[in-house]
Amino acid sequence: MDNPIISVLNSTLSTVAQGIKYVPGSDIAIDYIKNSYQNDPFRVVLELGLAIYAVKYMMSKKYRIDQNHVALTEKEIDELIAEWQPEPLVQPLSDVQRMELEKSQVIVGSQGVRPKVQSTGKTLLNLAAANYYDFVNMEHIKEKAIETLRAYGVGSCGPPGFYGTLDVHMQLEKDIANFLGTEGAIIYAQGFSTIPSVISAFSKRGDLIVCDDGCNFAVQKGTQISRSNVKFFKHNDMADLERVLESIRVESLANKKRPLTRRFIVTEGLFQNSGDIAPLDKIMELKHKYKYRVVLDESSSIGVLGKTGRGLTELFNVPPKEVDMIVGSMANSFAAAGGFCAGHKEVVMHQRLSGQSFVFSASIPAMLTICSSEAIKVLDSPKGEQLIKDLHNNANTFRNAILTGANKDAIDLAGDAGSPILHLRFPSEALRAAGITTRDEETFLLQEVVDEVAVKDSLLVTRAKYVDGQERSLPRPSIRISISAAHSKKELEKAAQAIKTSFNKVVSKRNRDKYGTNVGGKKSQTTLLAGAEE
Amino acid sequence: MTLKSVYKTDYVQSLDQQAQGNLNSSWVNDKGAWVTNVLLICVLKFFFGIIPGISPELSWTLTTLTYNIGSYIMFHAVTGVPFEFGQGAYDGITLWEQIDGGVQFTATRKYLTTVPIVLFLMSTHYTHYDAFAFLLTFSATVINLIAKLPSMHQVRLFDINQKIDATD
Repeated sequence: MDNPIISVLNSTLSTVAQGIKYVPGSDIAIDYIKNSYQNDPFRVVLELGLAIYAVKYMMSKKYRIDQNHVALTEKEIDELIAEWQPEPLVQPLSDVQRMELEKSQVIVGSQGVRPKVQSTGKTLLNLAAANYYDFVNMEHIKEKAIETLRAYGVGSCGPPGFYGTLDVHMQLEKDIANFLGTEGAIIYAQGFSTIPSVISAFSKRGDLIVCDDGCNFAVQKGTQISRSNVKFFKHNDMADLERVLESIRVESLANKKRPLTRRFIVTEGLFQNSGDIAPLDKIMELKHKYKYRVVLDESSSIGVLGKTGRGLTELFNVPPKEVDMIVGSMANSFAAAGGFCAGHKEVVMHQRLSGQSFVFSASIPAMLTICSSEAIKVLDSPKGEQLIKDLHNNANTFRNAILTGANKDAIDLAGDAGSPILHLRFPSEALRAAGITTRDEETFLLQEVVDEVAVKDSLLVTRAKYVDGQERSLPRPSIRISISAAHSKKELEKAAQAIKTSFNKVVSKRNRDKYGTNVGGKKSQTTLLAGAEE
Repeated sequence: MTLKSVYKTDYVQSLDQQAQGNLNSSWVNDKGAWVTNVLLICVLKFFFGIIPGISPELSWTLTTLTYNIGSYIMFHAVTGVPFEFGQGAYDGITLWEQIDGGVQFTATRKYLTTVPIVLFLMSTHYTHYDAFAFLLTFSATVINLIAKLPSMHQVRLFDINQKIDATD
């Protein structure tokens, strides 16, 4: 006991023990430790383990679970900076883009069936605009628009929910609902954003959309922005639609945990990208069989198809109230701009708060609204019936003129009978014979046709244009013809002949360039040129 | 035990999550929420304490069990956002995974991990180290802690909270 070291240690220990007693709460801890042993080492180990885990967790450093952080040295950073080459702010134009800029026609003065173009100063026959009834040049609609402009001013200066709703908006909604025979309608300020807004207002993440794969760009964007699960069926192929619906049904039967989802069939009435007409009767049959809702984009078909222009529902004799959402554009046959969605009262009311582009964008100007109301009035009158009849006759005239007569093999025509939208393409055999393989080459060839008929035959036609790289499946290049009721029968027949001749000529010229003047070596060439000589 | 499916949120979903703050999980960072957590435990203990016929030991065990089961349901069993504000940006993701945008070992996570451990230690002490009560509270606490592990982030065991896709 005399050892000084031990006595120092002893006194230090007792001082520490005394000191701990003065730390607040220390007797509780000491009590706890004394009590907790209870001659049960196993349990103590578990408890201690938990306590150690808590301490370890507290000491850990923050990190992101999905982070792939790469630590770089100074040298590596310098190297990367030295290697870096800035991309040009504006990418150099591709050949097609440059051609697009050079060859685009500029209309001088107002739009119409026979506009004047800047390049030649000539008046051309317009086969490029979706100006089905030439309402843009109807005097009394113009006067109404000016009157409204004086009374209401230009814009509405606010979204419909915030002072943007005018009496004329409500009137147009009523007019559209009455025209189509639905419970109600809602109007949007932009035609393109109508269908994406309608789809995403109803179909959310986890919901199910079955969509035609030939739908236009707006519909594709709508299905994408809705965040829903999208399944595509082959364009206008009802057997494939049934196959998709059946596979979904079987799949959901197999999974009992699957939540209830909203399900939609989305398709287009008159396809902008092909001129085809969707078989609505069969779609309705499948809708009822598999219990889906139908969203029908009638942007091109409203006012156009059917005896009185009621669109696809009239054409197939389907009660309009059975189609859940009829979406359309007022930019084509309703003489204005913007879009609408017609359907049940609940469908319309839901969009007043949940339709993104209805809620968040300024409402359509009053004068455009009035123009649409007037256009609907005209379509509903005997004069309108005559206009619709003219349009159908004109469409068929042009179609028949393309399909029959000389050079009829020079053009591959897409578009159903009765459709005022027609797509003209080179037949693939002709392209193969001319040695054209790429999309760009085909585009240039079509542009040659466009340029030639503009100069030689005074026709304004256009290639169908798409957002390259954004389309789900880019349709083959084509010339898109839009027929108007204001065209005359003679004009259209002449135009069809001129376009056919030009199609033939362009390909034959390419053939001659390729094989020299000495032709007749290959079989395919001879047939083509034989066609040209007719 | 099979690790049936390990899925990470898809790209579009993560974009949608970054578009705006998460109102469903941001409140857990409030100091008031931390205090409320402790208060709730006190209220539970008081509630079980005043029921006639329940011994203090049993009331501690019930408090711990209720807290662990309750917080498990809240943080680990329910997915998504009850009052939807972001087009289903958090569908299939539990509240624990939503906290702080999925960052691990943040202050809130540390707090919420420590509370059940302290509660468990107190509970075994006040039940006087009864073996049966220990077994119950220990397993409840451990299950709750396993669910909070960083390595369990968006990992689904035994089909719990398995994300069901209607289509591929």
